[in-house]
Amino acid sequence: MNALTAIGEALVLIGTFFYFLSALGLIRMPDVYNRMQTSTKSATLGSLGVMVGVGIWALGTDFGSAAWLTKTVVIAIFLLLTNPISAHALIRAAYKRGIPLWEGSVVDKYREHIEAKEREEVEETPAEEGGEE
Amino acid sequence: MLKRALAIISLLLIGYWIAQGLAGVPFGQDRMLVAQYYLDHVKEQTGAVNAVTAIVVNYRGFDTLGEVTVLFIASTGVGALLWRRKKQRTAKTEGSIVLTTGTRLLVPFVMLFGAYIFIHGHLTPGGGFPGGATIATAFLLLYMAFTAYEIPHKAFEKTEGAVGMAYVLVGLIGLVIGGYFLYDWIWQDWGFGVDNIGRLLSGGFIPIIYTIIGLKVGTELSGIIDNMLKEEVSE
Repeated sequence: MNALTAIGEALVLIGTFFYFLSALGLIRMPDVYNRMQTSTKSATLGSLGVMVGVGIWALGTDFGSAAWLTKTVVIAIFLLLTNPISAHALIRAAYKRGIPLWEGSVVDKYREHIEAKEREEVEETPAEEGGEE
Repeated sequence: MLKRALAIISLLLIGYWIAQGLAGVPFGQDRMLVAQYYLDHVKEQTGAVNAVTAIVVNYRGFDTLGEVTVLFIASTGVGALLWRRKKQRTAKTEGSIVLTTGTRLLVPFVMLFGAYIFIHGHLTPGGGFPGGATIATAFLLLYMAFTAYEIPHKAFEKTEGAVGMAYVLVGLIGLVIGGYFLYDWIWQDWGFGVDNIGRLLSGGFIPIIYTIIGLKVGTELSGIIDNMLKEEVSE
């Protein structure tokens, strides 16, 4: 057991801990948005820890080579880029479908923004017609 | 309620019957008869390291040709079922800026990875079908993120037909040279890549066939997606 193996094992342990936190967040959080918030972030971080950890762990063993670390880093970067996008798309779709926020929420700026935009459009339309006449 | 109970009971009976049948099969013991032959001879007979793709393309190439045909028929069938005079995409909501930018960024990499899978069919797990499906996923991403995206139809349909013909052509060349259909002439006669088994330029005609299959599967699945996403528009 050398330093690389130890670092790899520690990273995998941290990663699995964040996986556990992510699953716990799914159970504990009150609404869709909070659940996505907890699960996405900690699952992404957990995956990064596990993947990079496995790569470094393999470097320390006698059968491992740098190919392991390269592959895991590529997968980790891909996951780092795609996971937030998918979470964004899911949350946006949930909001557009009208899934309500938790009843304890105090502020919903996005709804205010949409309503303000709609009001603007309603006010603008007659004004434009007046201008054309 | 009665229906559901009857269904559960009959499913349990069928499950018990299958489990009884499988109980006689030893699990985890060495019962390989044909498979042992494949494992012993795959390298010198086909030049591939991946035994699965060697079996699928070389030893049992007819099955793969049949699968490609099934997929082609499925694609044609979807096209025939959903055929209407005027079809357009009627999607209204554009994806958010995060989604569109992310798709623009990721699509080349997804396509590159799909090509990697089917080019390295004789070395790594995968092959033409997963590679083609990955490429079709890239087109699905484009379809999902943009309201106006359409695959280049002319090029796609021509590619699909051409690579399908190319597969049969490779087989027919084998028939002429070696005496039977899908004879691996590159490996058996030319001995191309004998010295570097396990590297990219080896594996007889497996990389060639898998490039053909990957392109075919990719274009076909993209075509199916295209057909499914379009709706009839009233004039």
